[in-house]
Amino acid sequence: MKLRTLLATLALVIAPAVALASGGPEIKYVGVTAERTDIASLQRGARLFVNYCVNCHSAQYMRYNRLKDLNLTEDQIKQNLMFTTDKIGETMKAAINPKDAKEWFGAVPPDLSVMARSYTTEKLAGYLRSFYTDDNRETGWNNLVSPNIGMPHVLNELSGPQKLVETVFTADGKEIKTDHDAEARAKAAFVAANTMAAFEHHSEKKDGKTVNHYVVKTIASAGPGAMTAQQYDAAVADLVNFMDYVAEPHKAKRIQIGIIALFLLGFLLAAAYALKKDYWSDVH
Amino acid sequence: MAGTPSNHPSMFKNPVLNWVNDRFPLTALIKTSASEYYAPKNFNFWYYFGSLALLVLVLQIVTGIFLTMNYKPDAAYAFGSVEYIMRDVDYGWLVRYMHSTGASAFFVVVYLHMCRGLMYGSYRKPRELTWIFGMLIYLALMAEAFFGYLLPWGQMSFWGAQVIVNIFSAIPFIGPDLAVWIRGDYAIGDATLNRFFAFHVIALPLVLLGLVVAHLIALHETGSNNPDGVEINEGPKGNRWSKDAPADGIPFHPYYTVKDILGVVVFLMIFTAVVFFMPEMGGYFLEYNNFIPADPLKTPPHIAPVWYFTPYYSILRAVPPLFGSQFPGVIAMGLSVMIFFALPWLDKGAVKSIRYRGTLYKSYFAMFLVCFVVLGYLGVNSTDVWGQFGDWSSFLDTKDRATWVARVCTVGYFAFFFLMPWYTKADKTKPEPARVTMH
Repeated sequence: MKLRTLLATLALVIAPAVALASGGPEIKYVGVTAERTDIASLQRGARLFVNYCVNCHSAQYMRYNRLKDLNLTEDQIKQNLMFTTDKIGETMKAAINPKDAKEWFGAVPPDLSVMARSYTTEKLAGYLRSFYTDDNRETGWNNLVSPNIGMPHVLNELSGPQKLVETVFTADGKEIKTDHDAEARAKAAFVAANTMAAFEHHSEKKDGKTVNHYVVKTIASAGPGAMTAQQYDAAVADLVNFMDYVAEPHKAKRIQIGIIALFLLGFLLAAAYALKKDYWSDVH
Repeated sequence: MAGTPSNHPSMFKNPVLNWVNDRFPLTALIKTSASEYYAPKNFNFWYYFGSLALLVLVLQIVTGIFLTMNYKPDAAYAFGSVEYIMRDVDYGWLVRYMHSTGASAFFVVVYLHMCRGLMYGSYRKPRELTWIFGMLIYLALMAEAFFGYLLPWGQMSFWGAQVIVNIFSAIPFIGPDLAVWIRGDYAIGDATLNRFFAFHVIALPLVLLGLVVAHLIALHETGSNNPDGVEINEGPKGNRWSKDAPADGIPFHPYYTVKDILGVVVFLMIFTAVVFFMPEMGGYFLEYNNFIPADPLKTPPHIAPVWYFTPYYSILRAVPPLFGSQFPGVIAMGLSVMIFFALPWLDKGAVKSIRYRGTLYKSYFAMFLVCFVVLGYLGVNSTDVWGQFGDWSSFLDTKDRATWVARVCTVGYFAFFFLMPWYTKADKTKPEPARVTMH
């Protein structure tokens, strides 16, 4: 087989797979992540999940007894993690009545069983880190990753209050000479931010001219919470790690089996290659 | 068939085999289709994909059977039953990932198989029917994939089906009624899910199996083409195995069976890597939005079909509406798939294989491949993926750059087919060798 044909084939297969999506403000996700194999992290995440999430959200496809995966006994699960049912084989149902939830929040809070798969873990962690106070919202909270979301900042007591810091870069002809200059400065500020940040571009018509604004939004602490910033970051990482587990409980096993399967196929490859070579040795 | 088996029935030592052979041509079948089916000896890398397509078909049928054991085709339970398979059914996750990865793998393999046909002129006389059966398989496969994609009942399942069924409502006069007839309801709903399930698990698999058999029978009647595009049956006769067989042919079994086994193992390694390490394939095999249950009241901001449909979807979007009707786009999309059927008659080239074609054909072929891939890329994205033209472009019907690129690619795509009779004739081809060549 020629290298050229192989490359052509690869290009045809890979091209659609590397395609990038676009749209919306550019978000920078900052924060630590936890290892999926870290059982202690998953246990801490489970505690946060049942204490803060299951009040309003269900995970209706996740059974409590599956939590034995996290090295917990049935008794431990019953005593520490089950507040909405007493049957270990039950799934995680919200404490709130869906009818009430609809009245209070405008919509029933979505099921969290596969939330980590639809929303992605990165976005989920960013979302939990980027709540800020906003007096224009009914809940008093807004969010950088999901603007105008109906959910309040449930982990507020842990993180402490947070505020939005907005920096706008617009060409003024003096210090920031051109739009290009404004964009470059905004990009630099966005990249330099060591917290959750968003980069947006707005333009407005002023006296028949288009004026461009490049906005960098970041989240800052507005008071102490039960945890330090680092502790809160780690807690979010644990919670998201647990939600990733809930979304696909067999993920760790899947990867494990995959390695073994590939290893075995490697042997088969050697055998198949030797067989082919032997049979084809007399074809010229 | 290529070469009648020389053995008379009842000639084996094994009495069971003789008993069977007296009643059913078992040995004869094995001979005509494998051990005495002479295939050209110069098959290259591109010739793995036919057997791989067969492998994936079997894989899809077997995993599909197991999925059906726990799946519930009911709008209220479908999404939950898939999660049940993923969590509570023993190794249900594995079966489901194999099936979802298999769907995309099927198209990867089939696209490469078709690309091979284009490169080496496998659709040309005398293999027109093999090509037509192959195209029918491709159409059935597209329908199979479309019906199957509704079954998980996620947001993309629902809205993707909505978009595709709405394509039919763009047909003048009968369109809206036709769309209702397909859905069985005024919107995608339980009735739609039930009938799509029926089509997906029984109707189309039967059609597919029948067509695959027809594809193979037609192929074995004419014999396989090869990278040189020369007919081994018209060349000298006599090889090590038979004095009547083509000199450049080798028995399919064991030569190509052992070679295909190697291809199968390599394929399985890639397939396994996807199934176990990245079953979502970055949202291309399993879309993120499809992990949200179908909600008829919430339209996702961006609806894209699965990657294997996107070149055609791009063509649909690229064609501007006429008098407010999207029908021209629908026609263009339909034509972009159907035009493949006409290939055997559009190609007037003196040679079959790209190896002996001239620059003209090669340029058009390269352009076609680029257009196909670019259209595919644009189809998964929104039309503003490459931004918009500036204020100067106000006279255009759309400022989206990507739409204009898609239009250029659509023209390129059709140029490959419509200009084919001209450029294949005008092409300065090289002389074909008398015998196949080994590289």
